Amino acid sequence: MKNLMPFLLLLVFASCKKEYDLKLTKEFSILSSINGGNYNIKVGLPDNYDPATKNYAAIYILDGEENFDYVAEKCKSISNDYGTPNVLVVSIGYGFDRAFDYTPTKASEGGGGAEKFMEFIKTELIPKMEQEFAADTSRNSRIILGHSFGGLLTAYAFTNYNNVFGNYIMLSPSIWYDNEILLQFEQDNRSPNKQNQQLVFMGIGELESAGRMLAPFEAFYQRLKNNYPGIKISKHLEPHLNHVGSKNPNIIEGLNFYFKNR
Amino acid sequence: MKTIKILIVSIFILTYSFTSGQSDSSQIFKKQFLIPKLTTELGLGINASQITGVVISDLVQWNLKKRLSIISYTSYAYNNAFLRTFNYIETNYNYTLSQKFGIGTSFYSKKSTYTFSFLAGVKYESFKETLNNPKFEKVTVSVSSLSPDFGLMYNFKRGQKKYFFNYKIYLPLYPYPFKTFDINAVDGNMANFSLEFGIGMRLK
Repeated sequence: MKNLMPFLLLLVFASCKKEYDLKLTKEFSILSSINGGNYNIKVGLPDNYDPATKNYAAIYILDGEENFDYVAEKCKSISNDYGTPNVLVVSIGYGFDRAFDYTPTKASEGGGGAEKFMEFIKTELIPKMEQEFAADTSRNSRIILGHSFGGLLTAYAFTNYNNVFGNYIMLSPSIWYDNEILLQFEQDNRSPNKQNQQLVFMGIGELESAGRMLAPFEAFYQRLKNNYPGIKISKHLEPHLNHVGSKNPNIIEGLNFYFKNR
Repeated sequence: MKTIKILIVSIFILTYSFTSGQSDSSQIFKKQFLIPKLTTELGLGINASQITGVVISDLVQWNLKKRLSIISYTSYAYNNAFLRTFNYIETNYNYTLSQKFGIGTSFYSKKSTYTFSFLAGVKYESFKETLNNPKFEKVTVSVSSLSPDFGLMYNFKRGQKKYFFNYKIYLPLYPYPFKTFDINAVDGNMANFSLEFGIGMRLK
């Protein structure tokens, strides 16, 4: 057992998260007047941040507490690799349970608070980012990234709030939710949305075989690919990985797709 | 994540407690317990594949020496066994075939054998889903994937005669940590964690 201890310690430390540079991180809370939720917001600033002379694209991350450090680090390294300006990384914490904020309708798995949550993002968070952090005001400079129920909300932002974001990174989205209600929303809003330019990355784990993920994912992907002339879309199945394990590799794939094609 | 780390450390502590609890008195065992040269064990059990699957397997163990074994393990898992339709999404098929080889070491008590082994091989996973919601177009997706399979197995046998009872616990080590050190990947390990019971037979 003593011989195993160094290996165990290596496993534990190798699995630890790396924090984004604290000197480049700002943190504050917003008490929303829309839904009453108190949202903790973290903002990762790019190197050489200069709000006086520049405006910055901004990526809005769902499940922010869990994903902020990883996404911020990867945005920095990937933008450097492409020689392109980095973005503001804006993580949104939980105001209520994610099963409430991220689901568009009331069903057995969720509370249907997505509409008000999106209104909070659109009318309270984004204006604050534009006024205080020099976030670019154009639709094409905004990216939204989410995984699982966060991926569902990202897809909902595409279908129902397409004028807010121009870039979408949907990871293992729960399109199965409420008997695939997102497919109905896509149909209902296709006509105005297809006029817009879109950059969409959809990623999933190859082995997400629970009997609920891949078929709806493929259905949504085919809808977007076949019906939106202004779309640039990519799909990726991360080999040998399941729902949670595929998240970080697909974050890398999605960010690469964004920085390469922005 | 914290829970997963505690689980990993607990499993290693549990393994250590099993090994340190066994006594080995080889001279006595020669008289009372004849170590079989070759055994085969059929197993039937469950895996944690998403929403639980059913596993059938055959394990062949060749004891080269008292403390050294060569093992072959073959299994078929019928995955997602109890929820084949969900929200108009039908699972057409979902199975895993696995073949592993490994080495193990055994400890013995009066009527029981406790074998710990490391296994390595391949697994082939294949599944097909169809979205069949009457409101939307029908969409079918299929995946076939061949991947490495590494893991630790604990195998308990009880009985001194030709036939014996056995159970096995398999703890996968892929994708975590053999593919990636990202602790999130443990959900892939847990999908292939299995517990089986069965009957074995001494061949030699």
